[in-house]
Amino acid sequence: MRKRVANLIWRLMPLALAFALAFALFAGTGFDAAEIVGGLIEGAVTGNGALPNTVRWAIPLVVIGLGIAVSLRAGEFNIGAQGQFLMGSVAAVWVALRWDLPQPAVYLAAAVIAIALGAAWSCIAGVLKVLWGADEVITTLMLNFVALQVVVWITTSPLKDPLTSGDAASTSRIDSSLRFQGSGEYSPELIVLALLLIAGVWLLLERSGLGLALRLTGANPTAAQCQGLSVRRVRLWSYLIAGGLAGLAGALEVFGPAGRVVTGSTPTLGFTALVVATVGSLTVSGTVSAALFFGGLQAAILYLPIVSDLPPSGLRIIEGVVALLITAQLAAVLRRRRNSNRIPASSGEDAAESPAAKGLL
Amino acid sequence: MEEFIASTLRSSVPLAYAGVGCLFAIRAGIFHLGIEGLMLSSAFAAVGIAHETDSVLLAVAGALVVSAALSVVYWATIDLLHADSIIAGLGLTTLSVGGAAFLLDVIFDQRGRLDSGVGLPRPIKGAQAGISSLVTDLSILGWFAPLFVLLCWLVLRRTAFGLRITAVGSYSYGARAAGIRESRIRLHAMLCTSVGSSLAGVELALGGLRAFSEDLTGGRGFIALAAALFGQLNPIGTAFAALFFGSANAIGVVTQIHSVDVLPRPFILMTPFVITILFLTLSAIATRRAARLRRERIVAES
Repeated sequence: MRKRVANLIWRLMPLALAFALAFALFAGTGFDAAEIVGGLIEGAVTGNGALPNTVRWAIPLVVIGLGIAVSLRAGEFNIGAQGQFLMGSVAAVWVALRWDLPQPAVYLAAAVIAIALGAAWSCIAGVLKVLWGADEVITTLMLNFVALQVVVWITTSPLKDPLTSGDAASTSRIDSSLRFQGSGEYSPELIVLALLLIAGVWLLLERSGLGLALRLTGANPTAAQCQGLSVRRVRLWSYLIAGGLAGLAGALEVFGPAGRVVTGSTPTLGFTALVVATVGSLTVSGTVSAALFFGGLQAAILYLPIVSDLPPSGLRIIEGVVALLITAQLAAVLRRRRNSNRIPASSGEDAAESPAAKGLL
Repeated sequence: MEEFIASTLRSSVPLAYAGVGCLFAIRAGIFHLGIEGLMLSSAFAAVGIAHETDSVLLAVAGALVVSAALSVVYWATIDLLHADSIIAGLGLTTLSVGGAAFLLDVIFDQRGRLDSGVGLPRPIKGAQAGISSLVTDLSILGWFAPLFVLLCWLVLRRTAFGLRITAVGSYSYGARAAGIRESRIRLHAMLCTSVGSSLAGVELALGGLRAFSEDLTGGRGFIALAAALFGQLNPIGTAFAALFFGSANAIGVVTQIHSVDVLPRPFILMTPFVITILFLTLSAIATRRAARLRRERIVAES
């Protein structure tokens, strides 16, 4: 138990360091850091309608983040969640606006198509990687840009809301009877669905054969191959799961709080979810907590005037610094420093790293 | 056609600088996703300084300094703190995107765009026809690009420093055993990369538009990385890859000028990204095949 707490503290240190740096920047540019912290807490937790907003942002973050956690655990750097999410919301909005179906059928069709499109989008990169070794980091990033153009197209021609244009160009709103949630309120359906998904991903990762295969492939693909696993197939599954979850998150966004797809102003949930998954050390519980935390930040910065005196780009700065530092191995670095202090190095600098010095020890 | 060639040349200049620049990082073993961010922050620094001082020289110097400073931060997080280079690189890019937008708001009280009174000098201006129309409006950095590529080739392939970079990236233990200080080599490689990406950002900001906007780079840093991979991590190859990806970009520019309506505009704008994916895959296939052939030859000879 004590070890787990210590571990947690080590995990949270880079996060704290990142926040300290970001707030130092805010203070340095003439913002009152204490006021911002107060505002963030008010906007995320204590304020009027703050908690529902926090949950509103946490839901897509957790759904996308869990998918990213699955792919990173499988050793695949699938960083195309943003594109997969956008494709999912495009599918959902298309079904909701264009297909004349009874209500349950709309949900079913939209969910199936959004998941399929998200998974397919992710699998483009997956297939290219698994079959031919095309670097998935670049291809998933490129697919994000392609998906963005698909959104631009859908918001400017086929499903355009004629009253909007430019960065605010959007599709028409879906029929309000189809939506689960207005702004500033909890949506029981979405919360239940998110909980189910959390439980499902936990079962998949920790209690299923596929989960074991995914983790083994990520930890040591050669060993997995020797165990008779088809590493290729397992890797493809990781793309399918990540893409499907991101696509579903896109559909939830359309049927939930957003109600439409907007070109310019969508917060980059895909990247935030990557931060969420890494902050949560790729575990289910960690990802859920991190999603609540970053959901709170998003809610506070978008909706609270005290904070939004700080430009919304402040949030991106925080996320950037967190991503920059979150994987830092502070524990290992400090431990090594301590060791090298204890045993005086014989040949000057870099003693801790040079193999010769290690041989001497 | 002339318009297309001219536009290709203009679009490939930033790709060439960033692509050849990031060779130093990739050859040192770091997949540098912060390039996009370095380009954007350099562009911002350049336009910001040019906006205030009207001096191109100061703007370029400032961009180089900002890019170098961010590179040192990136190097410190992955080399001293052992952070994951991909996540940290994306973090650097996000920090730059957020930081540029933030400072644009705080310092200049602008949203999304800042104009600069001055731009990079253009040796040949406004030629309408003939050969010189192909290079008209090409900025001074465009003219220097081949020289830069050649210089990088010399450094990477013909100097001890360049070979050390490759050694560090391709066989870390060997490099260490040969007494190379890996950490320092990586820092220097990263600084070389910062120069290339910084010049790419300056070219984007002050070469044509003379303005900064938040989506100025629009994924060009990532395309430059792809160009480096497509160019088989060779400066000359990367330069040609940049030229090729630049032509994909030029399709979008030219069709916009002539408002050709073959396809809806977003589909034309996505072509550079689609082409990048396609050719990255092709080069991956080629690399694999070359490796297999080499293996088979070794087997046959033994």
